[in-house]
Amino acid sequence: MNKLRLVKFFAGCLVCLVIVFSLGSSFAQEAKVAEGNRLFYQGNADYKEAKFQAAIDNYLKVLNLGLESGNLYYNLGNSYFKKGELGRAVLNYERALMLIPNDSDLKSNHEYVLSLLNLGQQSFENWLGKIANKLFADVSVNFLTVLLAFIYILALLALASSLIFAQAKRSIKILFLILPVIFIILAISLNSKIVYLSKGAVVVSKEALVKFEPREEATTYFKLSEGSKVLVLDKTQNWYKVKRPDGKIGWMDKDKLGLILDLTE
Amino acid sequence: MVMKIFRIAKILMALTFLLSSQVLAKDINFEATVNSNKVGLGQSLELDLTFDGSQNMPVPELSVIEGFQVRYLGPSTRMSIINGQATSSVTYVYTLLPVKVGVFKIGPFRFEHNGNTYNSNTINIEVLEEAAQAQNSSSQEGLPQAKDLKERIFLKLQLEKDKVYLNEVIPITIKLFVNKLGVRDIQFPRFNHDGFSVGEFGMPRQYQEVIGGINYEVIEFQSTIFGLKPGEFRLGPAAIQCNLITRKQANRQRPAPFDDFFNSDVFDNFFGGYQAYPLNLKSADIPVMVLLLPLENKPEGFSGALGVFDFQASVSPLEVKVGDPLTLKAVVTGQGNFNTVNLPGSSLGDDFKVYEPQVKQDKDAKTFDQVLIPLNASVKEIPAMNFNFFNPQTGVYAAITRGPFPVKVIKPDKAEELKITESKQPAPALTKEEKLGRDIIYIKDNPGQLRKKGEYLYKHKIFLWLQVIPLLFYLLMVILHARRRKLAADVKYARQLLAPRRAKAGILRARELLKKGSAGEFYDVLFGVLQEYLGNKFHLPSKGITISIIDEQLKHKSIPEEILVNLRNIFSECDMVRYAASQLTKENMQNSLERLEEIIDYLQRNRV
Repeated sequence: MNKLRLVKFFAGCLVCLVIVFSLGSSFAQEAKVAEGNRLFYQGNADYKEAKFQAAIDNYLKVLNLGLESGNLYYNLGNSYFKKGELGRAVLNYERALMLIPNDSDLKSNHEYVLSLLNLGQQSFENWLGKIANKLFADVSVNFLTVLLAFIYILALLALASSLIFAQAKRSIKILFLILPVIFIILAISLNSKIVYLSKGAVVVSKEALVKFEPREEATTYFKLSEGSKVLVLDKTQNWYKVKRPDGKIGWMDKDKLGLILDLTE
Repeated sequence: MVMKIFRIAKILMALTFLLSSQVLAKDINFEATVNSNKVGLGQSLELDLTFDGSQNMPVPELSVIEGFQVRYLGPSTRMSIINGQATSSVTYVYTLLPVKVGVFKIGPFRFEHNGNTYNSNTINIEVLEEAAQAQNSSSQEGLPQAKDLKERIFLKLQLEKDKVYLNEVIPITIKLFVNKLGVRDIQFPRFNHDGFSVGEFGMPRQYQEVIGGINYEVIEFQSTIFGLKPGEFRLGPAAIQCNLITRKQANRQRPAPFDDFFNSDVFDNFFGGYQAYPLNLKSADIPVMVLLLPLENKPEGFSGALGVFDFQASVSPLEVKVGDPLTLKAVVTGQGNFNTVNLPGSSLGDDFKVYEPQVKQDKDAKTFDQVLIPLNASVKEIPAMNFNFFNPQTGVYAAITRGPFPVKVIKPDKAEELKITESKQPAPALTKEEKLGRDIIYIKDNPGQLRKKGEYLYKHKIFLWLQVIPLLFYLLMVILHARRRKLAADVKYARQLLAPRRAKAGILRARELLKKGSAGEFYDVLFGVLQEYLGNKFHLPSKGITISIIDEQLKHKSIPEEILVNLRNIFSECDMVRYAASQLTKENMQNSLERLEEIIDYLQRNRV
């Protein structure tokens, strides 16, 4: 009996600790968000006064707090655009597209900056990936993840129902034909978005030379213009091994690239 | 009608016999035949491996046959019923393509199946040169010919030199040599080119070449390659796929009334007397060394251009107002890797607004059109342009300088000052001009939902773990479904599962009767519980359970004597209550109930 009491006591303590910690971290997060909001509005005020560098500094401070939002990246992209740094504008629009892909203002600005840089659609996927991406172009990574989980649960429920309701097997069979196709297309689209999110990068300098080897004196293999998209395949201290949409691979100076998912920024 | 049924029955019996695989090995005859014992180089012949007596033999795997290339074509089965006796056979057909002249003995072919070994006969085949001569044109008559197929048709990979500089473009040639053979459906060659970039092959060239006195038809494919990294590499082997047109030998084993007439060459040719034999030809590979460009005498501003080039430059117009565009045209011509050629350098300083050049690349020229806008009237000339390149033929760096180009820049009228007029040639800057009036859409007023950076759902551990729940739910449903089906289908299992539950309910009822003290009813219930439990447990009719039946069931199950004694006692007490209910006290009843619980507990725990 005493043992049971002891166990109950420790379990109670554990629950209390978890509640205290989660409340603590929740309060800390709320404080961060409040500070982030303040800095964001400060950035907007600077932008309105055409103090674009000050606006950028304030938006970057929000990022440095470890916070992000689609609107924040959008405003940051606009600020860089106004400052004439089109590569960084593209980078932040690309980041925003991961969070608010169906925002019409964002799509318009992104397309406009790309047209100024004489860049068209740059895609790393094969034909199947392109089709899947076109279907779910306006869907964010998180929503796509939920959708995929929903289809997965639906498939398992259909399987379970086929066990219980033997007479409904025919209609369930039709469901079995459709669900895998939807699941595969969703999975392909999500995979390509995740690959781009984790490995994607944008050239932020006016021009970048891509070399055969990660050395300054190495032969130049090809050039990348500002705003070009690449995938980062490997890293050394100062160099990134990058892949162009046409499949060419070389090494370039890491300072000339901005990563889509840069947790250090 | 009776006859018809009888005939169908005979056919069915014969078919049953054929389909059964119980044919004895000694009844199966394994024979190898060819359609001709003489064949010319460049002709093919048919090899038939026949199993008489069964159609259930797998395809024999033929090992290498000396002097021939072997290709499996397919099976052919035969079945006949004569006077109710059914015979069946299967023939596996192969094409043999002779690769050299001589007499060859093929077989005996040994084949093992189901622990039985089958041996075929041997066949002698003579491979002649004549037939090949007969099918070729008379223009080659009298010339010697190769006696080996490898000398009749082969592939060569040729490179101009075996030491090249990094990015140096060199031609590569792949030649297909054919001597007195019919070849068609020749595919474009492929070759291993690790460390090199390869251009596309153009249309092949066809000509004749004599090697060692033998006249060959040559099909030549040409392309260019350049090294991508320094080091030692092996280029090739090159491979080509084509079809060798071989003449079928007349089948002497199938004589027919009009054999001579229909086996004539005219009919052979018209009705497919020739057949295509697929060939994969491979050349030897060749070593190539890719060298780095020398560092000594490397000119400043060298941007990697490699080849033998000439360079011309011009400026137009030669007289402009400040703010008007000038076009500087630079043309690099020659032979080499134009991918390495960049706009020749010049020091334009701050006197010009410079636009990105428009580049046009042809096979042997690269043109740069650069728009320059003079920003002040002090500009008198466009500075000289230097083009540096490395000549791989001489192994030295070369430089060509053009200019300076004198120009006259006039100060504009005040109204026109610094107005940029449209150039005759499209320049990238004009694209921006066309988009005047368009700008980005204004910033967002609110930050939206600020959240932790990089925190996506697909990385969220709790979300990922939650995905296991539906899977567990499904597995649970599968287990429950399987259990339900088993309960419905297996009565014994269902009764065994039910036994303790029902017994528990009975014991509760007995306990209530114990409290009331009604011995008669108590022992009736107790006896009923015991009967039902044991009946369910051992899958016996419950009402007919007696101590003798239970003894019979339990005697082989090594049950402790104490349990058996208890069981017998309960049965006897239940009997006794019918005659002398008054002798059994409440204590006896309590003991009986406890003993019953003990028995059920033991039988459940020990899974008797």
